[in-house]
Amino acid sequence: MSVVQKAGQSSKWYLPGIVTGLGITLKHMIKNIVSKKQMVTLNYPEEKYEYSSRFKGNHILTVKKDGNIRCTACMLCATNCPAECIKITADENPDPKVEKFPIAYEIDILRCVFCGFCEEACPVDAIRLGPEWQTPGLSGTNFTYDINHLAYRPSLKGGIQSHVDDEERHKEGI
Amino acid sequence: MPKCTINGKEVEVKDGQTIMEAFYKTEEPIAHYCYHPGLSVAGVCRLCICDIEGNPRPQIACNTVVTEGMKVTNKSEKIKDGVKWVLDFHLINHPLDCPICDQAGECGLQEQYMEFGKYDPEMAEHKVKKHKVVDLGPTVVLDSERCVLCSRCVRFTDEVSKTSELGIFNRGDRSEIGTVEGKKLDNKYSLNTVDICPVGALTSKDFRFRQRVWYLKDSETVCNGCSTGCNVKVYFNKEGFFRVKPVYNEKVNGHWMCDEGRDIYKFLNKDARFTTGIVRQNGAQTEMAPGALAKELHKEIKAKKDQVAMVLTGQYTVEEYEAMVSSMVKEFGVTKIYHWVNNKESFDSFDGLLLRGDKNPNTKGLLQVLEKHQIKGVWGDLEAGLKNKSIKTLIVAGPENKAVFDNLESYVKLFSQAEHLVWLGAAKVDSLLSLNNKVSIVPLKTFVEKEGTFVNAAGLEQKFKRATTVVHEALTLTETAILMSGKNLTVPMAQIEKPAFLENKRRQDQVMLENRKKNEFVFKRGSL
Repeated sequence: MSVVQKAGQSSKWYLPGIVTGLGITLKHMIKNIVSKKQMVTLNYPEEKYEYSSRFKGNHILTVKKDGNIRCTACMLCATNCPAECIKITADENPDPKVEKFPIAYEIDILRCVFCGFCEEACPVDAIRLGPEWQTPGLSGTNFTYDINHLAYRPSLKGGIQSHVDDEERHKEGI
Repeated sequence: MPKCTINGKEVEVKDGQTIMEAFYKTEEPIAHYCYHPGLSVAGVCRLCICDIEGNPRPQIACNTVVTEGMKVTNKSEKIKDGVKWVLDFHLINHPLDCPICDQAGECGLQEQYMEFGKYDPEMAEHKVKKHKVVDLGPTVVLDSERCVLCSRCVRFTDEVSKTSELGIFNRGDRSEIGTVEGKKLDNKYSLNTVDICPVGALTSKDFRFRQRVWYLKDSETVCNGCSTGCNVKVYFNKEGFFRVKPVYNEKVNGHWMCDEGRDIYKFLNKDARFTTGIVRQNGAQTEMAPGALAKELHKEIKAKKDQVAMVLTGQYTVEEYEAMVSSMVKEFGVTKIYHWVNNKESFDSFDGLLLRGDKNPNTKGLLQVLEKHQIKGVWGDLEAGLKNKSIKTLIVAGPENKAVFDNLESYVKLFSQAEHLVWLGAAKVDSLLSLNNKVSIVPLKTFVEKEGTFVNAAGLEQKFKRATTVVHEALTLTETAILMSGKNLTVPMAQIEKPAFLENKRRQDQVMLENRKKNEFVFKRGSL
C-alpha cells in the first residue's frame, strides 16, 4: 500500500533542503580530495575489488601430484547439480590404479547458479569453486568451459593440487 | 506340503523347499548374497541367518528345509545384530570405491547395508589388496577387491552354461575369483555372471563406464534377437538405449539370456536408424515425411495391382502383420506375399538352453497370419518374377536387427531388380542409398517403440508394451498399411475418467506440495 502525501504549506520551502544536500556533496568531495584512501568507491575497470579466497566463483578442476586430473568421473556432481550444467563423459584409464577418468568435462557456466553443490558432492576434492568471478566474453560462445580450461587455464598456473591423494590413502590401508 | 510361519505370516510351501523360498513367497525382506533362485545352494555368505523357534542357534535360511509348524523370524535383536556383524566381515576388504564402480546404485552391498547394516566399522587393520581390472574374457572385467566371494558366477558357469571357466583360487582372505590359466570366460551366456554378481566385481565391458545406473529408466519388453523371445528389460534415457537385462519368466527364459541378445539395444539408437522418408530416383535423393511417402504409394499400388509383390521378415508384431496382409489382400488383391528366411541352413538349430537359429522373434506369428489369409508364396516365384520383370513394385518390410541378416547385401541386390523398391524398415541399410532404380524408404518404429505381440518358437504369445520413442517421425507397419490403403491416421481419443496423476501411482517417498511448503531447509535457505 502506498501512502499519498498531499502537498502542504511546508513543502513549498524547498530551498533549505537543496542547500543542505549540496553541502553534504561538497563535504564528501573535499574529503575525497584530501584523503584518497578513505574513498568508498572504486574506479571500476582499472581497479578491482578483491573478494576473499572463499568466494564461490568459477569452477576449478584440481590435479594430482603428477599433474593429471583428479576427477574420477563418478558423476556425483552432475547428479547433484540443480541447474544440470555439468556434462561428463567417462572412459577407461589405461592405468588400472586409476580405472575411470573423464575424457570430457563440460560446465555450461551460463546455466550454473554457483550453488557449490558440486563441490559438496565431490568425494575426492576434484572440483572447487574458485575466487575468479570476472569472466566476460565477447560473443555468446566460449561459455561452455571444457576440461582444459577448468583444470589448466593460465590463471591457475599449471593446476591446483587436490587434498585427497590415492597413494597416501592406500598406504594408510583404506 | 508343510506349513510354516515367517515373521508371523503363515505360509505353505512345497515339500523340500527351504526357508529362503518361504521368505520369497511371503515377500518378507531377508539379507542374502550367495542364494540365487536359479542356482544351487552354496550357503557361503551366512547373511540369511534367522531364528527358528526351539533352536538355540541361528540357522541359514537358504539351506534349511522347512518342516511342519516351523516358526521362523529374522526380526529379533539377536538376528539383527548377527546380520550386522556378517555384513561388517564382508566389507572388511571391500575397497568402497563406489564412485567409480558401475554397480553403484543397484549394488547388493549398498542395499543390504542401508537395510540391515548401518554400523560403524570397527576394523583397524589394513585392507588386503587384490587384483583390479582383470580381463576375464571378451565380455567381462573382474575387480577382485570388490568381490564378496558369494560364488554365484562360479556356480553359474558350472550349472547353467556348463563351461566351468571360473573358480575360486587361494585361501582365506586371499581367495579370489579367476579363470584357469590360459582359459578365458568366453561362452554365449557369460554376461549373466555380471547380472547375478551382487557387487561390482564383475562388470560388462560393453556397458562399463557408459552411464551411471541412476540416469537410466527401464522398461520390460520381449527380446527380438531370436525366436526364443526372452523377457528382458531395456535400459534407456534421453541419450538412447544402453543395455539389456533378462527378466524372470519361468515359461520362456528362466533367469537368463544370451550375450547376443544383449546387443539388440544397438540397433534401436538413432544413429543406426533411418530417420526420414527417402525417395531415390535416377540417382537423385529427396527427403520426405514418412507419412506422406506412404500415402503417395497408394496410387501406385492401386494402379499396378498385378505387378506388386511383398516380402515380410519375421521381425514385426502379429497385429502389424494382420493389418498389413489384410490391407494388401482386401484393398488391393495383392497375394504375392513372401516370407524372407535369412539363414535357411541353421534356421531350426537350438543350443539346448536359449539360443535358436531362427533369429526372428515372430516367425510363428507371421506364418499364422499368412495361413489365415491363405497365402502360400514360394521364394522361388519371387526370384523368377523379379527376373522376368513381372514384379515391378516390390514392398519389403526389412529387418530391424540388421546384425542377424548376414547376407543382407546380396538380398538387397536381388530386390533391386524390381523397378521400384519400397523399403519399410528401421535399420539404416547403406547399400539401399547407392541403388540406381527407384527406391522409397519409409522409416519404421522398432519393437520398443510400439505395443504388440510376438509368438515365440514354442508357440507362446507374449504381449509387450511401448518403452519410449526414439524416432518420432517413424511409422509402425500398421500405420503404414493404413496410409498405403489411402486412409488417414486417426488420433485415438483418450478417455480419461480419473485425473492423470493417480493417487496409487505415487511413489512412497514422493514429497507432496503440502509437505514441500513445510520443508524450510529447502525453501527458506535463501532468506538469511
